[in-house]
Amino acid sequence: MSALWQVLVAIFWWVIHTLLEPIWNARWVALPPLTGVMMMAMIVGAVLVAPREIVEGEVQRLMYIHVPVATISYLAFFVTAVASAIFLIGRDMRWDAIARGAATVGIMLTAFALLTGAIWGKPTWGVYWSWDARLTATLVLFLIYSGYLLARAVGGPNDEQAARYAAVVGIIGYIDIPLIHFSVDWWRTLHPQRIIFAPKPALPGEMLLVLLLGFLGILFLTLWLITLRGTTEYLVQRADRVRARLDQLERA
Amino acid sequence: MSSALAVFRKDLQLAWRDRSGWLSALAFATISVLVYSFAFDLATADIRPLLPGVLWTTFLFSGIFATSQSFQRESETGTFDAMLVAPVSPSTIYVGKLISNLISLLIVELALLVLTTILFDTPLLTGELVLVVFVGTVGYVSLATLLSTLGSRGSARAVLLPVLALPLLVPLLIASVRATGAALGAPIDSAPWLLLLVIFALWSTIGGALLFPVVSER
Repeated sequence: MSALWQVLVAIFWWVIHTLLEPIWNARWVALPPLTGVMMMAMIVGAVLVAPREIVEGEVQRLMYIHVPVATISYLAFFVTAVASAIFLIGRDMRWDAIARGAATVGIMLTAFALLTGAIWGKPTWGVYWSWDARLTATLVLFLIYSGYLLARAVGGPNDEQAARYAAVVGIIGYIDIPLIHFSVDWWRTLHPQRIIFAPKPALPGEMLLVLLLGFLGILFLTLWLITLRGTTEYLVQRADRVRARLDQLERA
Repeated sequence: MSSALAVFRKDLQLAWRDRSGWLSALAFATISVLVYSFAFDLATADIRPLLPGVLWTTFLFSGIFATSQSFQRESETGTFDAMLVAPVSPSTIYVGKLISNLISLLIVELALLVLTTILFDTPLLTGELVLVVFVGTVGYVSLATLLSTLGSRGSARAVLLPVLALPLLVPLLIASVRATGAALGAPIDSAPWLLLLVIFALWSTIGGALLFPVVSER
């Protein structure tokens, strides 16, 4: 039983490394220019190329950043959940650093989505905030992962127990998402129905293209920020270990 | 299973010897119903639209405070470490803990239901409502028991438990308030709230039993 388990874990690590290592090695060369180009393309496209929406007017151009940010925040929290699970299996503190970094980025993205949503909502719906299903779900997600960061901050950078506890919160927080969606969806709903992923896209071609650029830009930005934050957390862990070792040597 | 029962019996014995724990939970629940009835003027209006919310916020807060204590005393006296050294799986300890927390909370909730029946002249001890209360309580006690292991790291951290648990409990709160409303004869909405409660209770107990070994490890 334990031998089989060890073989499975070894295969798992091999797959993770062969898949992720090339991406990881190219991170500083590829991600910043890709992010920059895509973000510039999105901004130019949203302001100049995309047609003016007839009913909502100029404020509708917020869509090109609001929709990608709101969608990709789920990806950031997914990275947190997966990295937490890998940390719990292998107990490698580097995965804890990645999980923590991804949660920080996800918090930033959800906060930005809520903010742009409020700016967009005032002229369109007449209110900054409404208790609509997807708004509420995003707010709850924001609160859950704020709790994750608080729980992780209870211990220092190398506190393995706090890292394990936070990892559990990161995982059950993500499994909770479908339940949150069902409950708030049945609770009430006002948000426009999804028009992008419908069988026949209801958006005109130019709008769809700019939105696609926005998705790519925000995706690369998120990946870049996660690697930055993750590396920073990892360096903090190492600095903390060096400091502890120095204290030890001084006392000796 | 017998070792889970042993953990459960130990906790119940401790709770009986030191009655301050669940008595203060009961006092807290009573006072919060009084506070609600002054704040929302529950004495005059038709209270059925408000009552589910009043009941469930009271249940949640008294439950969170009660479970946050459940590992604190053990870690102070070293019992928790002794239990982890014992040759039983941590999941068994979790199940025992869960049952004892569940029983003490159900007693508090039952007392509260009787009290509200008397105070507001609304029959609350119906079969449907007791079922909703039971399933909902299983769901949130199992999650709170898992998360309350953080409380074993010193009393200052205990304030973190509500901050962590309440956002995770949002689906449970919505579902149980609606299901309670339906049991009280509110206009029926079509959503299967009781089913959602059952699913929540299942995933939180299974997830708790699977993840408890990870958080309790020293």
